[in-house]
Amino acid sequence: MIDTAQRLALRRGPASLGLAAAVAALAGVAHADPCTGISSGGSRFAACFDPGNRLELSGATIGLSPGQAALGGELALRHDITFEDEPDLVWKMSHELLDVEYAPEAGRFDGLLYRGIFVRHSRDGHIVLPTDPPKKVFLPFDIGAFVEVGRFETHSPALASLGIVETAALVDLARSHSQRFRLAVGPSGSWRVDLDRMPVALADHAITPFSSLLLDMHGESDDGLLVAELRGEAGYVWHLDRGWQLEERAEASLERTILAVNDRPIAVYADVRYESAYSETIAGVGVRLALFSRHDPRVSLDPPH
Amino acid sequence: MKSVYAAVAAIGIALPAIAIADPPQSPTMDPDKPVHCQRDRTGEVWRIQCDDAKRVCLYAPDAELDADGNRVHPLERVRDCAEADGFDRDRLEKAGYQFVPGRADAPWGWSRDERGRVFQVNFDLHKRMYFGVGYAPQKIIENPLQSTRTSIDFGLLVLDLYDRGDTTRHRIRLLQGEVNMEPFSADVTLAHYDMSHRFTDPLFRVTTFFGEPARHDLHLNLGMFTEAGGLELRQTPYGNTELWKHATAQVTLDLWQSADLESFVRLRTGGILEGQSDPVNGYRSALTESTALDVDMTLDPAGFHNLRFELAHELPRYFTPYVPNVLVQRMRAKLQYEQIILAINDQPISLNFSAGGEKRNDIPGVPDQWAFVVDAGLRFSLWAPPHAR
Repeated sequence: MIDTAQRLALRRGPASLGLAAAVAALAGVAHADPCTGISSGGSRFAACFDPGNRLELSGATIGLSPGQAALGGELALRHDITFEDEPDLVWKMSHELLDVEYAPEAGRFDGLLYRGIFVRHSRDGHIVLPTDPPKKVFLPFDIGAFVEVGRFETHSPALASLGIVETAALVDLARSHSQRFRLAVGPSGSWRVDLDRMPVALADHAITPFSSLLLDMHGESDDGLLVAELRGEAGYVWHLDRGWQLEERAEASLERTILAVNDRPIAVYADVRYESAYSETIAGVGVRLALFSRHDPRVSLDPPH
Repeated sequence: MKSVYAAVAAIGIALPAIAIADPPQSPTMDPDKPVHCQRDRTGEVWRIQCDDAKRVCLYAPDAELDADGNRVHPLERVRDCAEADGFDRDRLEKAGYQFVPGRADAPWGWSRDERGRVFQVNFDLHKRMYFGVGYAPQKIIENPLQSTRTSIDFGLLVLDLYDRGDTTRHRIRLLQGEVNMEPFSADVTLAHYDMSHRFTDPLFRVTTFFGEPARHDLHLNLGMFTEAGGLELRQTPYGNTELWKHATAQVTLDLWQSADLESFVRLRTGGILEGQSDPVNGYRSALTESTALDVDMTLDPAGFHNLRFELAHELPRYFTPYVPNVLVQRMRAKLQYEQIILAINDQPISLNFSAGGEKRNDIPGVPDQWAFVVDAGLRFSLWAPPHAR
């Protein structure tokens, strides 16, 4: 986030940059307190975390009764792209890679190669019409895109599915400057294939020509200890073997960090997933351990000199 | 205020309202000439740019305005300007300079409205992520009733690497493709890289001595074209067929290049290592000779009009014979025109028209004759920054 001091520096040039940096540094110390804990022995520890930047392992029990053990992992990365000459414009980039979960007893493997959510946040939403001269019509939302590549799921010993690609044009109504909140909705298009597992063969193609609506919600507490997500999708999907079908899919999760080891957070989570195409509802409760986690920038583990 | 009313009208009654004419816009400052900042008696900062030849100075508020003319935000994408740089307004007025209201300048590829708000007006569609949907009535000569198709197309990364003055343009594409319904077909390429190069030294030169001696240079602008992970799926009366183009490698010859290498006409030829599977013959591998003519043109400097054409011929040489005594071949042609119609938050939405045909005899059940498709659709592109100046 670019504060007033930095903005001043951008406008006034290098001479003011030093002053702005000093102001920003002072501000950083002031803000570090809520995110930096100090033990009775004077040691400092992180009290805020960035759940969007971590390499995690998870262990869960899935299914309602009886539960079956599942192991998983994921690499999550997120970052902002900002512009010096347009400080109120930010591209919020969120990536998830190699999101896998394996339940050996159930013979179930779910994996995702890549998911990206890109939101362009600007002070003014607008449409530009290519008239001469161009005209600008203002809109109260940010826009973005959702991309998913290589989503593999096993649904039964005989059936699996591979989501080759899914994309959606998003309208983000939350218009948050940070990545902590998102309330996005938009039409989605996808191509998925169903696979017979024994023997392995293509069974069906399912195509959504932007005839589904995707809803994506994300919320985090300011300290990153609580994370909630909801993603739902409903619409008409065309199948090669049976034509148009109404399908719904939804997944929701809630995560709470309960402790940290060496400043690496450990969280408990619960999630539930529903997919009408396979008449599937799966719920799970588990523990998530961050093998690597980026420190929240407000955390200051080095004592002040 | 009038522009606000036009906006409200546009949202309420859609595009025709935009045709309401606004009053003539005030002139814009030149982004290549110096600009001065000066405070008025109330302390507000104004940007001023003077043209010594015309003895005219444009002035504009150094802030974005709301609909009532109040200063609400700092200007975006604007140059720094110094207040105490010796600019003397009184001296200029005494010298006969006229002060006229104007608009602050915007950088290349951007424009600024009367309230100082900036927006993008130049789009490079060779740097983007896109996805779209199309409607494609299809006519096959022997099946005139088969006429409804809907399609989706996507490109997760379209990236041209080129800096002004370079003699090479690199083109990278990731997961680009198209999926059609009823009848089903799909064409997807996982990774693509090609490269155009301008050779500054001629291959050879010819001097003519008819009349005044003149020199004519002949350049051989060679490049390369590669793809990996191509997949074509087709639906036939016998079931679905798959054509896996594992790897493609071709040499390109640019017959014409634009100055920035963005537009070109080129020939390319080379080989494809492929595997094909159909319900009748099972799986077979082939080395395929392939040749194509490509045209890719950006028709205007702002990137609003884009034309692409491909004419390709492929000759598979199967490791195990497929159909004896028949020359197995594939031919396809596709003409595509894409026009940006509007931009939402500086991200363009374009109309896409295409017409294509395919003739092949490598798939059992597909008639060995040309099948034509026309397609019209919309594309949403993300990123698409202004062209390099």
